[in-house]
Amino acid sequence: MAVAAVHAGGIADHIHPEPQGFVRRYVFSLDHKIIGIQYIITAFVFLMLSGLLAEVIRTQLLNPNGGFVASDTYNEVYSVHGSAMVWLVIIPMLTGGFGNLVFPVQIGARDVAFPWLNMLSFWIFPVSGLMLFSSFLMGAPTAGWMEYPPVSLQGAAGTSMWCAAIFLVGVSSTMTGINFVVTILKMRAPGMTFTRMPLFVWGQFATAPLLMIATTALAAALAALFIERQFGVPFYDPTKGGSPVMWQHMFWFYSHPAVYIMILPAFGIISEVLPTFSRKPIFGYKLIAFSSMAIALAGFMVWAHHMFTSGLAPFLQLPFMIITFVIGVPTGIKIFSWVATLWGGKIHFSTAMLFAIGFVGLFTIGGITGIFLAAVPFDLHVHGTYFIVGHIHYVLVGGSLMAIFAGMYYWFPKMSGRLLNETLGKIHFWLFFIGFNGTFIPMHWLGMLGMPREVATYDPQFAFWNRFETVASYLMTISILIFFVNALWSIRNGKRSGPNPWGARTLEWQIPSPPHYYNFKHIPTVYGLPYDFSQPLPYKGLDEELTDSPPPVAAGAH
Amino acid sequence: MSVASLARDAHGEVDQLYIETRELRLQGFLLFLVSDCVLFSSFIFAYLYLRNSGQGWPPPGIQRLDVAFAAWNSVVLFGSGATMHYALENFKHGKFMRYIWFLLATIVLGAGFLGGQVYEYNHLIFGEHVTWWGSGIFGASFFTLTGMHGLHVFLGVCYLTVLVLQSAAGVYTRGKFFGITAGTLYWHFVDVIWVVLFSIFYLL
Amino acid sequence: MNAAIVERLGAVIAGIVVAVVAFYALYKDWNASGTENQVFKLMLFLLGIGAILALLAGLNVIGFSPAKGA
Repeated sequence: MAVAAVHAGGIADHIHPEPQGFVRRYVFSLDHKIIGIQYIITAFVFLMLSGLLAEVIRTQLLNPNGGFVASDTYNEVYSVHGSAMVWLVIIPMLTGGFGNLVFPVQIGARDVAFPWLNMLSFWIFPVSGLMLFSSFLMGAPTAGWMEYPPVSLQGAAGTSMWCAAIFLVGVSSTMTGINFVVTILKMRAPGMTFTRMPLFVWGQFATAPLLMIATTALAAALAALFIERQFGVPFYDPTKGGSPVMWQHMFWFYSHPAVYIMILPAFGIISEVLPTFSRKPIFGYKLIAFSSMAIALAGFMVWAHHMFTSGLAPFLQLPFMIITFVIGVPTGIKIFSWVATLWGGKIHFSTAMLFAIGFVGLFTIGGITGIFLAAVPFDLHVHGTYFIVGHIHYVLVGGSLMAIFAGMYYWFPKMSGRLLNETLGKIHFWLFFIGFNGTFIPMHWLGMLGMPREVATYDPQFAFWNRFETVASYLMTISILIFFVNALWSIRNGKRSGPNPWGARTLEWQIPSPPHYYNFKHIPTVYGLPYDFSQPLPYKGLDEELTDSPPPVAAGAH
Repeated sequence: MSVASLARDAHGEVDQLYIETRELRLQGFLLFLVSDCVLFSSFIFAYLYLRNSGQGWPPPGIQRLDVAFAAWNSVVLFGSGATMHYALENFKHGKFMRYIWFLLATIVLGAGFLGGQVYEYNHLIFGEHVTWWGSGIFGASFFTLTGMHGLHVFLGVCYLTVLVLQSAAGVYTRGKFFGITAGTLYWHFVDVIWVVLFSIFYLL
Repeated sequence: MNAAIVERLGAVIAGIVVAVVAFYALYKDWNASGTENQVFKLMLFLLGIGAILALLAGLNVIGFSPAKGA
């Protein structure tokens, strides 16, 4: 695919004056890197809050008769936990956070296509998060993060607040999606054809259309629920001619692509970390790139596999089952490619690498249980049980969250100029890995034995494993606290990293740590894939980046 | 006739920065229209789903919509699409006063459409007590979808009014007029959505 | 009933005008290049279709009217 040459005087040459003052530089910043950091910090705050809710859940489940919180409170807790983790942690962290932080530099751009829109997208996010958590003050939603009617129609005011909060964060997501699509289509450096883009960029490029299109479908569903609750306009209430199953269709038409939103950027992170710490080119670059696009597209065609028990017409179950099986194929292609990348490599077990390898193993487990669930007969048996909870946490925590940690250990030095402490990192990893598996493996057999999800009390036969899970979950929580301590300490006291502590080859590692606000003094020209460790770097024009020379355009001139 | 050759900067040279920025804005705006399309499509799905949910259509007690007035009102809106097209054409050819007249005509026709919708709503709600927003799935789908569309038309009329004021103040030149192009794209989009809504509510 | 006839007449006449204008504009701009012009061409076409639909509705070929029924 031909890439337009840079014309003199265009965007690539235009370095705007440096922002002045604390507010312009760090609060209302237009710089994609600062915005990315803002997203990451905010998402980690919501991770803590939502993780606290998770520990309330686990503590309640220590005893079969509960007793830690009232049943209604418990319902509120898991509903907000799920909603916050999906919409306030994983999606913003991976798209707004790592997306903003990394990929514009990786494509050799100075910023995203619409920096002001980017800033607006960010600021909507903490506001909507506050709105969601404020629902506790007015009767938080109690029908789970999926808020199926008719139960959600009967919920207290917090359910309407939930609708508004998620709608708002959805607007932020949609704008980010548009921003990223245009940036990747139009602002790549000269010579960077699509097949020379780093795989993290491919991950974002596959995700951005999902953000744009799927999130808007959710907005419609939420708006309809809101106006039904507030103004009595019947969409879902069966007593007025509405259809609760219609909510499920509309909700899952978004929420299935949403799970791909939550994993495709993570796949991109892993595809960057593994080759760097294996000192080997990524195996199957085109396989990974194109399978990401295939997953994104096919992700729109499988939503009803969440609805096999909803009374869906049986003739529909078969095609959804088959397409769901088929989606496992491009994902499996990636797993094989990653394993092949590791094979024969000179592995450096840095903390980032530990999380990345852990991802490959744990996401595979989550993916396999997903294939189990694709089979209708099996799903009919375990739908609504802890098997599902086990599956989703393997892919979202063993998958997405591990990739997030891998990305943090990998890119923290680029953004701060200092390395995270490796010893604390390894403690974090092992405690997390053990705690995570201890918490979520037993859920699979608990589910098959029949323990339902989203219940405050349970049959005493499940008591031992629930207690086991709770103790293991405390280990996970401690490990995450260790991570936060590490991060806060390392910002000031971490070992200085220099521009490229890992010897990586993508463009962000060829500029200072932290980068200048303008990213590159001169936009480089790209001649090949970044991953070929035996070759010289495939870039031209980077000679001045690590020197002290000023940028070519004076700060005040245009 | 290329935009590129006409966009000049303060020194009279081809304004490469503007050309590239304009391309970004165009793509971004088109993607915004795509996502707006998804929004309408979701509600259209809901309407079609509810309509086919086996209770018969129209629901008991509701009359089918009479197409006469809506057909006229639709043509008013489609006419405004034609006038907007000619507004942009005239601006591109440098005929400023004609551009302003066509733009004003678009605004008048657009506002006329909105007035027509108010009349139609009035007739439906207070006329024969056919239906209102909350009275059943027919009202829910009809008023939500046409209401959303009306809101889009209203915002469009506001934006076109801003365009008139900006144009009078000389904001747009023959080389730099993306605001007008975007307004035309948006206005056509609103038109096309109405073609679909008119068909599914009045013709199906 | 009277109002309905006026409305229908208006729909038919104006529908013809708008359809002709839209398709003529499409014909004239057929060779225009550039992303936005492609989008305009598509939208003009759909606009023309819309005008034709409204015209047919005015003639009672499609759509419902309480007097006749479709």
